[in-house]
Amino acid sequence: MNHDNAHRLLPAYVDRQLGPLRGYLVGRHVAMCPSCLGQLEVMQAMRTVLRTNLTVHRAPPALAARIGSALPREALPVSRRRLLQPGFAGAALAGGIAGVALTLAVTRMTPAPDPLLTDVVADHVRSLMADHLTDVPTSDQHTVKPWLSARLDLSPTVKDLGAEGYPLVGGRLDYVDGHRAAAIVYRRDKHVINLFAFVTSERSDLATHAEKRDGFNIVRWRMGGLSYVAVSDVEASQLLAFVRLLEGGG
Amino acid sequence: MAADGRTRRFELLAMPHLDAAFNLARWLTGNTADAEDVVQDAYLRAFRYLDAFRGDNFRVWLLTIVRNSFLDWLKDNRSGRALFQPAPADMDWADPAPSAEAMLLDRVDSETLNNLMAQLPAEYREVLVLREIEDLSYKEIAAVTAIPAGTVMSRLSRARLALRRAWVDNEKKP
Repeated sequence: MNHDNAHRLLPAYVDRQLGPLRGYLVGRHVAMCPSCLGQLEVMQAMRTVLRTNLTVHRAPPALAARIGSALPREALPVSRRRLLQPGFAGAALAGGIAGVALTLAVTRMTPAPDPLLTDVVADHVRSLMADHLTDVPTSDQHTVKPWLSARLDLSPTVKDLGAEGYPLVGGRLDYVDGHRAAAIVYRRDKHVINLFAFVTSERSDLATHAEKRDGFNIVRWRMGGLSYVAVSDVEASQLLAFVRLLEGGG
Repeated sequence: MAADGRTRRFELLAMPHLDAAFNLARWLTGNTADAEDVVQDAYLRAFRYLDAFRGDNFRVWLLTIVRNSFLDWLKDNRSGRALFQPAPADMDWADPAPSAEAMLLDRVDSETLNNLMAQLPAEYREVLVLREIEDLSYKEIAAVTAIPAGTVMSRLSRARLALRRAWVDNEKKP
């Protein structure tokens, strides 16, 4: 490849957008051309600078809810927001201190269009159907935790509770309510428990709060700045016992 | 239940891309409140036209709609800033700049860089966001921005040069 052609293609070469043949030919020219090499270095430095420094704006947590409630839904009231639910607010008041005994606020009301609940149930179901339960299938907590931490800027609690009847199955990346989430997968007998951990703008601790959605039991709480949601079709009492084991002893 | 099933399908497809949609809208509008309006408008449009989605990449399809929503928002909210006006690229990668090394990684001040980026024309900002943050291919960028595939490389190149020029000029200030 002559100089003009190679020089013209340098940006695409830096962006790795050339096919194998042209990529090879440009690379071969650059190796012999000090002028192209110099420019390539500046371009590559620029690329690194942009990728490292450009702000990645995250959607505000309320936006997902706002969009969710603007979408048409059948036979569901759209006015209730999650934080206004009596049970959740009650739990918020009762909680607030890390490690306090579990305060359980069970809500019995018509299902509100909480996008988070819809989301975690959909994630849970999809993880069972799509043969995509785990990205990192291992019962070793010392593998799962760093694997997740390396991919998300959060470090959730991961414990092997095999001895207690809740063996760790693995972890995967998921989305909850517009947030990147760690999904940590456990089993109880034949049942799968998906535990989601993610960061929202709400950081203060929140005591456990159990509810039911589409036949699944859901327990959520917040601790150490991380929001946790456990979803499973195991019985509510077993799911709560599981959450207690997780929270107990740090 | 049909409407609700459709809503759920849409949420499964679209909600995972909310951060990407917001990021693009935020970089284009320059502020959170307008970005939220643009994203919400885009999501409702995407929901309406869900049946028209034929491609294999929902994120690209959605980002295209976000950009269209932004263009419509722009028509209704003309700010004084000249958006989508190409800046002259009178600088070459070979230009000897006194502080060319200033763009090396360890010396870059993120805040300044982001401010300079925010002042670039929107047509430059969008390709940089799609390439450097969203990691879209040239072909995907062409789909989102409706510019010919062959133009993406030069557009990106001019965008980076414009940012570098702005950086160098900024460094020269006392």
